[in-house]
Amino acid sequence: MRFYLIPLAAAAIPLVANPYTQFMVNLMLVYILVAVGFNLVLGNLGQLAFANTALFGIGAYTAAMLMAHAGWPFWLVILPAGLAGAAAGFLASVTALRGIRVYYLAIVTLAFGELLRWSYIHGERVTGGTDGLAVPRADFFGIALDSETARFYVFLLIVTVLVKAVSNLLRSRIGRAIVAIRDNELATASLAIPTGRYIVLAFALSGFVVGIAGSLFAVLIGRVIPESFGLIELILHFAMVLVGGLGSLFGSVLGAVALTALPEFFRRFPGMYEMFFGALLIVFLLAQPRGLAALAARWWPQLRDRYYRDR
Amino acid sequence: MLELKDVSVSFAGLQALSQVSLSARAGEVRALIGPNGAGKTTLFNAITGYVPIASGAIMLNGAPIQGLSPHEIAALGVRRTFQNGGLFGELTALENVLAGLHSRIDASFAGILFGTRAARDAERAAVARARELLRTLGVAHLADQPVKSMSGGQQRTIEIVRAVAAEPPLLLLDEPAVGLAPPLRAQLVELIRRLAGQMGIAVLLIEHAVDLVMAAADAVAVFNGGIKIAEGTPAAIRADPAVLEAYLGHG
Amino acid sequence: MFALQLALSGLAQGAIYALVALSMCVVYRATTIVNFGHGDLVMAGAFVVYLLAVLAGLPFLAAATLAVVLLFILGLLIEIGLIERIKAGPHIGFALMCIAFGYLLRGIARAVWGREVLPMPSVFNFPPVFLGELVITADALVIFAAVGLLLAAFFAVFYRSSAGRVMQALCQSERGAALVGINVRAFHGVMWGVGAALGAVGGVLLAPITLLHPGLGASFLIKGFAAMTLGGFGSFGGAVLGGLILGVAEQLVGGYVSTKLIDITAYLVIILVLALRPNGLFGRAIAEKV
Repeated sequence: MRFYLIPLAAAAIPLVANPYTQFMVNLMLVYILVAVGFNLVLGNLGQLAFANTALFGIGAYTAAMLMAHAGWPFWLVILPAGLAGAAAGFLASVTALRGIRVYYLAIVTLAFGELLRWSYIHGERVTGGTDGLAVPRADFFGIALDSETARFYVFLLIVTVLVKAVSNLLRSRIGRAIVAIRDNELATASLAIPTGRYIVLAFALSGFVVGIAGSLFAVLIGRVIPESFGLIELILHFAMVLVGGLGSLFGSVLGAVALTALPEFFRRFPGMYEMFFGALLIVFLLAQPRGLAALAARWWPQLRDRYYRDR
Repeated sequence: MLELKDVSVSFAGLQALSQVSLSARAGEVRALIGPNGAGKTTLFNAITGYVPIASGAIMLNGAPIQGLSPHEIAALGVRRTFQNGGLFGELTALENVLAGLHSRIDASFAGILFGTRAARDAERAAVARARELLRTLGVAHLADQPVKSMSGGQQRTIEIVRAVAAEPPLLLLDEPAVGLAPPLRAQLVELIRRLAGQMGIAVLLIEHAVDLVMAAADAVAVFNGGIKIAEGTPAAIRADPAVLEAYLGHG
Repeated sequence: MFALQLALSGLAQGAIYALVALSMCVVYRATTIVNFGHGDLVMAGAFVVYLLAVLAGLPFLAAATLAVVLLFILGLLIEIGLIERIKAGPHIGFALMCIAFGYLLRGIARAVWGREVLPMPSVFNFPPVFLGELVITADALVIFAAVGLLLAAFFAVFYRSSAGRVMQALCQSERGAALVGINVRAFHGVMWGVGAALGAVGGVLLAPITLLHPGLGASFLIKGFAAMTLGGFGSFGGAVLGGLILGVAEQLVGGYVSTKLIDITAYLVIILVLALRPNGLFGRAIAEKV
C-alpha cells in the first residue's frame, strides 16, 4: 500500500502548478517510464544497449500513425504502442538466442536502433520523413486531453500501473532470473533457468514500457520527428538510469525527476548539452556509480531493492 | 542414475579427457581426486553441458543428455556448484536460494505482473521454503545479507544450499572445502553425508583434501592427465600404488 | 568499368574504415574493453587537424603529426584518468565511461564549431592518376599510401619486433605478464594512446575528403564495428579486411541499388553477420570466458 502513497501525493501537483511547470511534470512522468524501462536492460539485466531511443520512437510513431492515419482514439493506441516497443525489443535482442552476448549484443542493438531511426526518416509516406507527423487531439475514453492537467491525471494513472507491474515483476522469479544473469550467467543456467530466453524477455518488457512512454510523449509534444529519437536523446536516457541508480526502480524515478527539466537550459548553447551530460556521467561513474538511489538507501535502508516478496 | 561411457573432451586439439567411464548412484558420495589439470572440472562441465564432448555417451536415468544445454540438463535434476564460486553477488542468500527454486515456483506471467493472490502465494511459499532450507543447513542468520559481503566459507555453504534447493537427484560439488576453517570442514562433511544419506541425493565431489574425501566419500575415482587411473573404496584407493605414484610422483 | 571505379573509391573509403577498426581492435585486444567512444576520438583527430591547418595556418603535415601526438596523449589520459579509476565498479561502467567521454568530446567540438558543416580546402593538389579509364584521385592515392605504410609498420612492430612479442604476451595473459615484471597499467595506458592515435590518423585522412561535423564519430563507430564484426571480432587482420570489404560494399550498394542505402550498409552488415556467422567471415571463434 505504501507504494500508492507517492502517486496519491503527486495527484495534488495541479493545485500548485502553472501550465508550464505542469507540462514539465508531465514530461517527467514520460521519462519515469523511459528510465524504468531502460533500467530493466541496463541495470537489472546488466546489458549495455543502445536501442532505447528507437524503442521510445517506435512507441511514439505507432501511436501517432494510428491516430493520424487510422483515426484511432488515444486510449486505443497505448497498448499497440507498447506491443510495438516489445516487438522491437525482441528483434533487437533475438540474436541472444544464438549465443550473442555482452559487447556483441550491445553492438547489435546499436545497429538495430540506428536502422529504425533511418526508417523513420526514409519512410516519408507514413512517418512524414524529417518533418515528422502531427499528432491529432487525444482523448481518453471520451475525456479530451486538451489541458496539461487532464494529461497529467491520465499519465499518472498509466505510469502508476506500469511501475507497479514492473515492481511486481522484479520481485518475482522473473526479476530474480534477470538479475542473476547480470551477476553470473553461467551459474544462472545451472539452476535450470534458460538465460537466452530471459535476456530476450527483459528486452521485450523494456520495449513495452518504453514504447508506452513513447505514446505518451507523442501526445504530450503533439508532433513526432526523427530527431527526437537520436543520439542526443540517448545520452539523456543513459544519464537518467545511471544518475538514478543502475538496477534500482526507485532510482529510475529519481533520475527521471532530477534530469527531465535540464535539457531546456542548454538549448541555446550548442554543445553544452552533450558536454553537460557527458561530464555528469563521468562524475557519477567516478564518485557515485550506484547513483542517487544508493545515497538515499544510506538514510532509508528500506529502499534497498528486493527481488522477492513475502506479502 | 548417471552413467558416463568412454567420454572424451578436447580443446583445440588437446585431449582434456579421454575415454572416461564413471557412474553415480542415489544416496552415494563419489569423490573425484587428482592433481590440478587432471580433467575433473572438465568432467563436471561435460556432464552439465558447459563443454561439448567429442565422443562417448552421458546417460541420465538411461536417456542420453549430451548435446543438451546447461539449463536443460539442470532441469532434468542435475545441479552443481562452481570451483570459483557461482553465487549472485548482489543478491542476498535468500534471493540466491530462491533463484535455485526458480522452476519450482508455479506463478504465471500475468499473475506475477498483476500481483494476483495465486502468484503471491506461490512466491510466499517459495520464500518460506528457502528460509527453511537455510535454517536446516545452519545458515538462517545469513538469509538477508548480500552474499558478496560474506566470507568464502559462508559463500560455499550458500551455494550448496542453492544447488540442493530444488531437491535434485544428482549433485556435483566442485571443491566445496576451499577456504574453509577446520571446524567448518567437519560441518561440511556432515552436510554432504546428510545430503546423500537422508535426502538420497547422488553426489559427485571434487576435492583435494584427502582427509575430507576419506571421511565423506563412499567411493573414490582418481584422475591424472585426463584419464581415470583408479576407482574403489577410500581404503582401497589409499593403498593403491598407481595412486601414490600419481600424487607423490608429482610432489 | 563502372563497378571497378566504384570498387576503387570504396577501397579508399574502406582503407579509413580499416584503420578505425584496427585502432578499436588494439584497445580491445590489449584491455578487453570495447571503446564505445572511439568514433569521437576519430572525429577529434579530424577536428584538431582542421583547427591547426586551417585556423592556425600550420602546414598540413605538421598539423597532422601534432594532431596524432595530441590524440595519443588524450587516449593515455582517458585510460589513466577515467578507465583505470573505475576498475572496482560494475563492469558495465567501462562502456558507460567510454560513451560519456565520447559525448563530452562531441559537445566540445560542437561548442567550438557551432552548428555548421565545414568543408576543408583540399590539401593534396597534385593531379589524379589515370589507369585506362579508371581515375584514381589524389586523395585516394594519399590514403592508400598512408594507410598502407601505417599498416605495414603496425604489423611489423606487432609480429616481428621484440616489443611486439611483449605486447602479444600481454594480450594473451595479463597475470603472466605481471609475473615477469611488465607494468600492466602502463601497458594499458600506452595501448589506449596507440588506439587513439591510430584512430586519429583515420580522422586526419578523412578531414580533407569529407564534410566535418561533430556527429561524425557516431557513424565511424558503427563502421568500425561493422568492419570488426565482418573480420571476426578482435582479429587485427580481420579488422583491416573487414574495413576494405565494407568500403567496397557501401559503394556498390550505393551505385547499383540506392544511395540512400549507403548509410545503413554497416548496420545491415552487423546484424546479418552476427545473426548468421557470429564468428565473422573468416571464422575466428569469439573467445568467451568460462
